Amino acid sequence: MTRTEDVASVNQKSLCGMLEFVNASTVASGIPVTINFLRNFTIEGIEPFLQYHCKLAGLVPQVTFGNYDMVYQEILDSQSHLYHSSPDLIVLSLYLDTYLPDGWRASWRADQVMSGLATLLGDVAKNTDCIIALNTFIPPYYSDCGISMDKDTPSHYDEVLKLNQLIRAYIMANHSRFILIDWERFVRLLGADESMDYRFWYMSKAPFKKGFLDLYAQELVKVLKALKGKSRKCLILDCDNTLWGGVIGEDGLQGIKLDRHTYPGNIFFEFQKSIIKLHDRGVLIALCSKNNEQDVFDVLDNHPDSLLKREYFAAWRINWNDKASNISSIASELNLGIDSFVFVDDNPVECSLVQNMLPEVVVFQVPEKLYKYPQLLLQNALFETLNVSSEDRVRSQLYRSEGNRKDEQGKFETLQVYLESLSLSIKVHEVKDDEVSRVAQLTQKTNQFNLTTRRYSESRIKAISNSSEWAVITLFVNDKFGASGLTGVLIARKEGNSGIIDSFLMSCRILGRGIEKAFIREALFILEQSWGEKCWIAEYIPTNKNQQVADFWSTAGFREVERLDRHVLYEFSDSVTSIKKISYIAIEE
Amino acid sequence: MQCHEKKLKEVLSKVFKVGLEMIDEDASPDTVENWDSLRHMNLVLALEEEFAIEFTDDQVVEILSYKLIKIVLQEHGIEFIQ
Repeated sequence: MTRTEDVASVNQKSLCGMLEFVNASTVASGIPVTINFLRNFTIEGIEPFLQYHCKLAGLVPQVTFGNYDMVYQEILDSQSHLYHSSPDLIVLSLYLDTYLPDGWRASWRADQVMSGLATLLGDVAKNTDCIIALNTFIPPYYSDCGISMDKDTPSHYDEVLKLNQLIRAYIMANHSRFILIDWERFVRLLGADESMDYRFWYMSKAPFKKGFLDLYAQELVKVLKALKGKSRKCLILDCDNTLWGGVIGEDGLQGIKLDRHTYPGNIFFEFQKSIIKLHDRGVLIALCSKNNEQDVFDVLDNHPDSLLKREYFAAWRINWNDKASNISSIASELNLGIDSFVFVDDNPVECSLVQNMLPEVVVFQVPEKLYKYPQLLLQNALFETLNVSSEDRVRSQLYRSEGNRKDEQGKFETLQVYLESLSLSIKVHEVKDDEVSRVAQLTQKTNQFNLTTRRYSESRIKAISNSSEWAVITLFVNDKFGASGLTGVLIARKEGNSGIIDSFLMSCRILGRGIEKAFIREALFILEQSWGEKCWIAEYIPTNKNQQVADFWSTAGFREVERLDRHVLYEFSDSVTSIKKISYIAIEE
Repeated sequence: MQCHEKKLKEVLSKVFKVGLEMIDEDASPDTVENWDSLRHMNLVLALEEEFAIEFTDDQVVEILSYKLIKIVLQEHGIEFIQ
């Protein structure tokens, strides 16, 4: 990953340049994704853009286009191509002129159109279990009632705006399945000239120009990245000339530039706002600065215009070590892979050091045109998640209590004594309705402690938790520093006398305390209570991120039965109670 | 403007995702499998971008063979050299 990843909001490459990049016969390595378009106009032109942005993001897309203007038929026909494949993403692409052919004249009403659309959306949602993207419509560029406005002249423009509002409300109410792709915002960003290709609209029903198709593709790739666990999780920031203007060690609290009312302090103030927005969406924020720790905290604690306070940060390295080592050390403290990080610094030397030593980190240098700085993190889709769970909103807090745990770790002579002092307890039970969203999110985001790395959508989790053949078990962890929330998932299905462990994963922030053993024991115990005794089959599917669990099943007492090309199968036929109990972990009912 | 003919062939080869050797004087939708109406749009856009020209509406529909593309580009003042 390089600094140019997702950088341009409008891609400057020529069509030929993009095709060259897409066609280049580098091995098609990456995560496969399937995208089905249901559309009422010619949207095939988007394919090179999708291929391009997918390739940049490490995804290998397979794109299918439904028949031209057969959206209704394909949704209603249970034999249609839509139901033969199970795509990761269905894109409903609806162009207003085709959707409402009489709309230009008849006085149509947004609420009536929306109720038809809602039926259609309900049908797609009911018949599939993937994420569905839907666009807003483009309001007319020119007034259709001249310069006069009176209540008796129906205004197409106002009605389109109302319809878009209704679409937004629908998607908000159904956000577990639907994603909004806001065409209205695209045309506002680009303007009519850069968006509309009237030539090919009249010749081939293809209404969009390159700039529009590019934004459309980027937006869809954001969704795919979130779905496939490719989102970044932590933002690491330098301090001087990054969080404020000037150098705190030299300029002092009064001298640094962070005043919200004057240039350039107001730019840094605005940048801090964008960080807090990310924090509130669940992104972890950390500091990595060559400074005296006390000077930095003095700004955070005492500067009247520092919106960022000490409690926003999940970790910090304020010292004189090199930044690559500090970032690696933050990664191990937070238990995150190096590819989870984005780093911002004003110093080109630091930026290139980190980029060279840790190429998987996305590095941004504070732009020379400082007025562009506040948008830096907003325009780059690095931290996308499909839904923000209540866990996300308090994530930094959860990690901070983990930090306290690590501080204590130093005080104990042996790990065992330390673990015993934590007053650990776990609660394990079958998934409840209000946990489904978090479970899906964990399957999408967990890379390291994940034995099979199977990704599931929220609706798929819902479906399997309702099936009698399947079970979804969740884990909650508590200790004297606080609750860690829902941090582990086991998904199993029964097949005769066997129980197959389809997925077993835990959030990395609770690792290293033997909880995984207690969890598997408790989960299998619960399953055998409802399913009867089973011979348990488990598997390990290696990825380049989950080596740490390569021997998990063996250490949990499972026996290796088969080593295949891509995965290893294990079996456990003893009594579950023979799995060793962990003395220092209490089981809550 | 002078231009190597290879540049033109490369545009077609990239747009239609075929080897450069497939693009000869007789190339047309009959000889190049991927030259369908959808990719024809990409061809038009790519040629306009690479040669910094804009086709007339009639030319967009007309340029359905390698020879015709060359003629039309020459009308736009592009002179091909080998």
